[in-house]
Amino acid sequence: MIITIQERWGMMMNKNWMRRQQRLGYLFIGPNMLGVLLFFIIPAFYSLYLVFTDYQFMKPDKNFVGLANIERLLHDELFYTAMLNTVIFLLAVPISIGLAFVVATVLNQSVYFKKLLRGLYFLPYITSGVAIAFVWMLLFQPNQGPINGFLRSIGIANPPGWLSTIETSMFAIDIIWVWFMLGYNMIIYLAALQEISSELLEAARIDGANRWQTIRKIIFPLVSPTTFLLLITGLIMTVKTFGIIQAITQGGPGNSTTILSLFVYQHAFRYYDMSYAATISWALFIFILVITMIQWWGQKRWVHY
Amino acid sequence: MKTSKVIELIEIRKVIMTVIMLFFGILMIVPFLWMLSTSLKSPSEVFIYPIKWIPEAFNFSHHIRIWSGDHSFVTYYLNSLKVSIASTIGAVFLSALAAYGFARIEFKGRNTLFMVYLSMMMIPPQVLFVPKFLMFDWIGIYNTHWALILPGMFTIFGVFMMRQFFMSVPYEISEAAFIDGAGHVRIFFHLILPLAKPALATLAIIDFSWHWNDYENALVFLIDNSLYTVPLGLQTFILENTVDYNGMMAAASAGILPMIIIFILGQRYIVQGISNSAVKG
Repeated sequence: MIITIQERWGMMMNKNWMRRQQRLGYLFIGPNMLGVLLFFIIPAFYSLYLVFTDYQFMKPDKNFVGLANIERLLHDELFYTAMLNTVIFLLAVPISIGLAFVVATVLNQSVYFKKLLRGLYFLPYITSGVAIAFVWMLLFQPNQGPINGFLRSIGIANPPGWLSTIETSMFAIDIIWVWFMLGYNMIIYLAALQEISSELLEAARIDGANRWQTIRKIIFPLVSPTTFLLLITGLIMTVKTFGIIQAITQGGPGNSTTILSLFVYQHAFRYYDMSYAATISWALFIFILVITMIQWWGQKRWVHY
Repeated sequence: MKTSKVIELIEIRKVIMTVIMLFFGILMIVPFLWMLSTSLKSPSEVFIYPIKWIPEAFNFSHHIRIWSGDHSFVTYYLNSLKVSIASTIGAVFLSALAAYGFARIEFKGRNTLFMVYLSMMMIPPQVLFVPKFLMFDWIGIYNTHWALILPGMFTIFGVFMMRQFFMSVPYEISEAAFIDGAGHVRIFFHLILPLAKPALATLAIIDFSWHWNDYENALVFLIDNSLYTVPLGLQTFILENTVDYNGMMAAASAGILPMIIIFILGQRYIVQGISNSAVKG
């Protein structure tokens, strides 16, 4: 018995066998890697190549144009509008995270029906998508919609036009986005709050800290890595989204809800201006890179690991 | 006496907090309630204020209408089911396979490869839309379900999530199996995969919901109405019936229903999966 185990140990330690086993790593990753190569890496490089050409889907010839697309982009007023709209869209992220923090701290300790409540706040996130976008479109209906109906009933004679006016449309989208993201952020905060030891909170209570002080001085710093993570992932995810906006407003009224990602879509599949669309999409990539870098740089000030 | 009073005070506080949170919680799902109520109303009742939550007479004609006729939700549902199920099965299996490689086999270049995966997460899908469109057009899968299923089988998030899980499985299990003469292939199929069932279920649910809700890829890669998935079908319906608010809301309900069912059945998995992927990642 002992001998067999030793023999088997010997086999396991057998260099050839081990090496073969390690080579299996490629076999495991291979199929996935093939897909990543085909659907991520090669398209990414091809897109980068398109930036320096004048390719349009309807015209078969493709010429090298150097930096012409980038120059065009930098002189495109709509590009700056789209950037500004994207920034307004991104405001939804910190607002949603802040609200989620409040909801999560309350749900974490001082309520009954915790599970039911968690489900209610989380539901919008899981049912995301165009279906719910259309519901909001009707809720926001300026003349007869229920939201403005409510506002009129509490005495606001001229409620906002929401999705139908240039000044308010982006903020109406923000409201939908805050509502949608809240549940996701809350779930992650709840998980983070559960990791805080109750002894620590007990100690704070004994030392005479009130609720507000506990939240501000203990809970908030302790979950700051989570807040940071939510901010990064939330911003990136939001920048990449255009579905709900395409579904409800198609970037209008005017260009007031044309965000960068939608701007790419419009150039690619409305005008079939492939090279220019690729150029904008890389600007979008740089945009993501910049906000991520600002975040990393800024985190030293407030994130406590 | 004193302690019981303190406890009483805490209880009252708790009740008040519950009521407040319940109020806002219901506010969160008001859009869904309004949608459902509107889908069952008559057209004249849609915009009456104060809102008539319960219609005079339940009107199911809008629901019946969207499920019948030429381009009905039956087609859209079947398309969505086909695309979502095929993508999800592929994605879960391929993610688990790759994640095992990344988590439990040490081979040359593993960390470099993983860095490549990491960096791909930074690339917005918009960068890939144009080249993928051209590629799919070229190989002839543009405007077919393959254009959604094939790329849908590869999810970098899935690899991350499963890798996270596999790393948490004790290595002693593998070592013991090695001693018994099993290789990685057998360990993966007979030991690790069965252990990973909850994680696989979580990934499957999250992935399925992505595919079910995926509007953007369908918008870019499909043109034939008969191929449309639910989000696109919904959009078409709404563009064709701009003033039929009851029909719109019946269609929206049909689009959301599967997600609500999945949410109720799989809440535990979804919540667990989302918290794990973020907090430990």
